[in-house]
Amino acid sequence: MYSSYSSILEYLKDLFLVRLPYLPSNIRSALIIILFCTIVFIELYLYISVRRVNQNFNKKVKSKWYDQISNLLTEIIIYEDESDTDAIVQHFLPAFKKLPLYRPFIKNMLTVEILNYHSNFTGKTADVLKGLYLSLKLDKQAKKDLKSNHWEKKIKAIREITQLNLRSEAETILKFTDEDNAQLRMEAQAAFVKLSDDNPFRFLDRARERILDWHQLVLFEVITKTKNIQIPSFAKWLSSKNDTVVMLCLKLVNHYQQWEAIPDMVLLFKHANLKIRAKAIENIGKMEAEMVEESLFEMYYNQPLEIKLKVIEAIGRIASGTYLDFLKSRAYSEEYKIRMAGLRAIKLHGEVGLSLLSDIYRESALQNRSMVEHVLDDRIKN
Amino acid sequence: MSSKILVIEDELLMLKAVEFRLRKDGYEVQTAADGAIAIQMIESQQFDLIITDIMLPFVGGLEIVSKVKGDPRTKDTPVIMLSAVGLENTVLESFELGADDFITKPFNLSELTIRVRKHIKQNAF
Repeated sequence: MYSSYSSILEYLKDLFLVRLPYLPSNIRSALIIILFCTIVFIELYLYISVRRVNQNFNKKVKSKWYDQISNLLTEIIIYEDESDTDAIVQHFLPAFKKLPLYRPFIKNMLTVEILNYHSNFTGKTADVLKGLYLSLKLDKQAKKDLKSNHWEKKIKAIREITQLNLRSEAETILKFTDEDNAQLRMEAQAAFVKLSDDNPFRFLDRARERILDWHQLVLFEVITKTKNIQIPSFAKWLSSKNDTVVMLCLKLVNHYQQWEAIPDMVLLFKHANLKIRAKAIENIGKMEAEMVEESLFEMYYNQPLEIKLKVIEAIGRIASGTYLDFLKSRAYSEEYKIRMAGLRAIKLHGEVGLSLLSDIYRESALQNRSMVEHVLDDRIKN
Repeated sequence: MSSKILVIEDELLMLKAVEFRLRKDGYEVQTAADGAIAIQMIESQQFDLIITDIMLPFVGGLEIVSKVKGDPRTKDTPVIMLSAVGLENTVLESFELGADDFITKPFNLSELTIRVRKHIKQNAF
């Protein structure tokens, strides 16, 4: 049958255009499916081939530009140290301007590489890279991305602006410090602390959204490690309606040992949020604020267990000796945790405490004695 | 004869920058982008100073220090640790293993070259 046709094409043409309607329906369906699959396969093959060629071409082009950009940047690294930063920037600027920065991928590649180098070096190298970034107006894209509708783009822009310390953008970033999106909010708050010249903690005044626990850790790290930052009195925010702001400020009050915050912390002893109440008491203990000891004692009996434990611990840290009898009475409490906290607090009173623990040991039953032994064992940490 | 320095760093950009800078200062520089290659180079050649990152593929920077300082042939070779991990424990562990210096990224390239010069000078005596 096939030999009567001069080519496969002619055979196929005859099969699909002439004989197909006369064939049985099952054969007809099978032939149509085969035809469809063959066409799809050919199309896919062509698509994949074109795509691969295109990808390889792009890869080669990118690699060429990457090498060129990388070489230009390396030249900056090995350039003479003694020259002025501006002079170095001006020296290299013409070479960078020759790059086709109108092509987005080259502009993006250069920005990424400048940021990479910048994140690894300090001193003049970093200053020159920043100068170059600004002279080439690469900041335009980041500023544009701040206005984007995509939060990921905003975050990327905020990181870029923060890394290059573009302080003029602090006010724009302030707008994002109370965003609904938690990630954007966190980036913006950390960035604002680093970039704001006059009042890096202004975002706390307007913070209505929660500052998540993890976020508090990040912010704490940023605040305590950023150089040349003006540290205000965090007492100002201890009356905030946002509990997470209060919590963060309590941690900072403790870190910076801000004694002027003590009256505001005493007010927090009545705070409805037990975590805040506990943190305020803990701070008082850590700051050894003896003048508050009486307030601690007075509040003790109306508190839930976790707060009672914090009060005992704080009185122990203050260790004035005024409330030793109270602590001794705690050593005979029915609640195990209170007994243990009481004994530990007594131990913190030095010689007097140790002597009192000996008395308790003598007066006590077997179970309390083992607890005293446990507390006195310096190898066991609390 | 110029001093021979081995720079071990998996971040190519950083490797290139340090290599070029040290070459410019007149040193003979060899590079390795992972710990395994570095170990082979240390075993087969003599270096006057080694600069190594902490986080490296295959063999970490701490293992490299440990190996260099544990081998009588190389124990006097100064090792400078270079790392973005500035954690107190890592720094202490590096010194514990015998590292001679620790530089945290980001760093000043001029500072690195000064330290390199200092260690090579000290080791020459």
